[in-house]
Amino acid sequence: MPEPTLNRILYVEDDADIRTIVTMSLEKLGKFRVAACDSCAEALALVDDFRPDLLLLDVMMPDVDGPATLQVLRERVSTASAPAIFVTAKVQTGDIERYRKLGVLDVIIKPFDPMVLPGQIERIWQQHWSGANDYGG
Amino acid sequence: MNIRKRHSIEYLAAWLLILAFSVWTVNLLLNIQDDWAQSNEITRIDQAVHRLVNPWRNLNRPGNDVLENYEVDGQSRALERYLAEYSEARAGLEAHRATKMPMADFYDGMDEAAAMAAALASRVLQLAAEREALRLSGAGSDSIRRVETEAATTMARMDQAFQVGLDLIVGMDERLDQRLLDLDASRRAGIGSLYVIVLVALLSSVLSLVLLRRTVTQGEALRAGAERINAIVNNVVDAIITVDDAGKVESFNRTAERMFGYDADRIVGRPFTDLIDADRGERYNEERFQPESTAFGLDESEYLGRRRDGSNFYMELAATWIKVDGRPLLVHIVRDVTERKQAEERLRLAASVFENTTEGILITDSDGIIQSTNPAFTAITGFTADEALGENPRILQSGMQSADFYEAMWESVTQTGHWQGEVNNRRKNGEIYPQWLNINTIKDARGKVTNYVGVTFDISELKASERIKDEFIATVSHELRTPLTSIHGSLSLLGGEVAGDLSEESAKLVRIAQENSQRLVRLIDDILSVAKIESEKMPFHLQPVALEELIARAIEANQDFAKQYGVRLQAEAGVHEARVLADKDRLMQVLTNLMSNAVKHSPRGGVVRIGVQRQAGYWRVCVVDNGPGIPESFRDNVFSKFAQADGTDRRRGSGTGLGLSICQAIIDRLGGRIGFESESGIRTSFHFDLPVMQRQGMSNVTATQSSEPLDSTMRVER
Repeated sequence: MPEPTLNRILYVEDDADIRTIVTMSLEKLGKFRVAACDSCAEALALVDDFRPDLLLLDVMMPDVDGPATLQVLRERVSTASAPAIFVTAKVQTGDIERYRKLGVLDVIIKPFDPMVLPGQIERIWQQHWSGANDYGG
Repeated sequence: MNIRKRHSIEYLAAWLLILAFSVWTVNLLLNIQDDWAQSNEITRIDQAVHRLVNPWRNLNRPGNDVLENYEVDGQSRALERYLAEYSEARAGLEAHRATKMPMADFYDGMDEAAAMAAALASRVLQLAAEREALRLSGAGSDSIRRVETEAATTMARMDQAFQVGLDLIVGMDERLDQRLLDLDASRRAGIGSLYVIVLVALLSSVLSLVLLRRTVTQGEALRAGAERINAIVNNVVDAIITVDDAGKVESFNRTAERMFGYDADRIVGRPFTDLIDADRGERYNEERFQPESTAFGLDESEYLGRRRDGSNFYMELAATWIKVDGRPLLVHIVRDVTERKQAEERLRLAASVFENTTEGILITDSDGIIQSTNPAFTAITGFTADEALGENPRILQSGMQSADFYEAMWESVTQTGHWQGEVNNRRKNGEIYPQWLNINTIKDARGKVTNYVGVTFDISELKASERIKDEFIATVSHELRTPLTSIHGSLSLLGGEVAGDLSEESAKLVRIAQENSQRLVRLIDDILSVAKIESEKMPFHLQPVALEELIARAIEANQDFAKQYGVRLQAEAGVHEARVLADKDRLMQVLTNLMSNAVKHSPRGGVVRIGVQRQAGYWRVCVVDNGPGIPESFRDNVFSKFAQADGTDRRRGSGTGLGLSICQAIIDRLGGRIGFESESGIRTSFHFDLPVMQRQGMSNVTATQSSEPLDSTMRVER
């Protein structure tokens, strides 16, 4: 199976400053299409139209946090099978392990360098699909 | 001394007795001899007296005869002859005049009677001659009758004198016979006494022999007994010391010599109080002379012994008064009870710890039935000792741990002898509390389990404060990182000219801001790291780690960083089997830290060498650079937080000053040591030592891990 191209990224982040930085990085450097939302609710409002290839979710958010948002999005047909990556400053003991168990591809730790962020995401994407290919035979 | 004196008195008495007996015997013999001599003499006197009888009887015959036959001439001649015979017999007595017998009266009486008888006999003969003359002259019968009458009268007087002499002789004879009888009796009595003496002497000899023999036997027995007692006294484990009534040491056995460090002859004659602690001397002297007690000092705690070198030891002292040869002697039996006292002290201490510690202690038998609990156990659980005794520790179970959990716990206890971890238990009042529990087994000499000991402490408060700290760390981490992410991200995009081109000066300023924001991020990371490691909050996943492989990976990961400084990282030829029990990631962190330090302090074009060495019981990993070295003044502070030798030189200032603190904290947690050697301008070598992994160590870890509670925050102690 040929590797699908990463193009559309749904990014949920409550901090507007970081949202700006990430959006700028991914759009200008990575040439991706980014839908940046400040909450789970906003994301739900546009996913069906946007149909993202990848979900990029902040973990620590008020009301509905990253894992809960992921769970909600998994119930939507348009995002049920979209691979997800968490972005977090919360890297306490065992956190990364726990997130991986939720089915995310990887965890990007804040603070990250926006200059290399697009490349980092692209690499995770490629590793995921080559791994999936291996499993799929 | 006494015995000898008493003996000499006895000897003196015996000798005096023998002397008295001898004198008596000699006296007796002399008496007997004397009696014998007297007896002989008296017999001879008696014979002499007897010889007087016939001449005496003859003396009155001529008178009588002449009156009948008128033969005057013949009778005169007969009288002369008889008188001569008597005189001769009488002379025979003279030889005995000096005898002890009183014979003077006899002699005088006889001589008087003899003289009278002779005179009267002569007169009769004269009258007979006159009568003859008258008759021949034919004178008248009257004149003849007158003469005859006178003759008859004279004759009668002569008979009287004769009778007096005869009575004297007979009386003398009787007295002599009586005397002989007396002497005989005396002699017989003397001989009887001799017999008695001989008998007594014989008996005495026999008795002496018997006594002598017995004395000899007793002497041998005494000697044997004395040797036996000597052997006992010198070989018993107790010191035996006798003291006289003046308090001076009189004898000192070998054990005492060893115990007190004195030779017997150095201490004998000195006061016993030299052998006890100076403070107790007075008390000893008081107790010693209490008349009502024949024994004292049985309370061993009262006396401290003092050795010759002045050191003290605990002694058990029992003293008893006895009498030897009538002299009082105080026999001390002393036992060195230092070891026992120390053991008691240890026990007392252990008991005190058991009673006073704030950790709850519970001891069960091998079946897990509670045998003993301490006050802290009651304080924690609410169960009193009485309530807990005989129960199974299950009374404390909260139901919050699974059956598997307890199974694993007991498997560890049975296999490794111990288990430790966190358990949620239920107090008597139903409250559930977290506790840290440490279970150990106690085995007897043959390795059989006799008891299990559970030591526990309530960690409710600890858990609460840990939770607060964790939350604080998480919050700090998140709250600091979020704005930093924006700052750092913005600067990065600016610097990357994503938002448009920058002037050269602007780019320089952005780079400075960017570098310092990076520095701030590292600082936060390191502070959080140190806090987590030191609070032992960071979980360490122990596993066998091959050091060479890890070093190779660390070199690979840091080679690019080293290149920036124009430095090369190089592994020394190492030891292939070098394996330690460690957390791989943490160890990597240590290596990275040491390497980056070495790189930063190396001259451009330098080489940092990393090697492994085998030391006694551990592996040493060294990271060596050829930099300027660590200034002498800084060496004590190398591992202090925020310490940097080149604090003023910010040329390369990208460090946080926390790296070596983190390394030290990690190596400490892994049970190792960290250190360095520095020769200024030549080389600096940082190293850490980790214990060589044992097969046994490995199995222990496996067991510990298998027995861990499901909670992944289980700490690895030490």
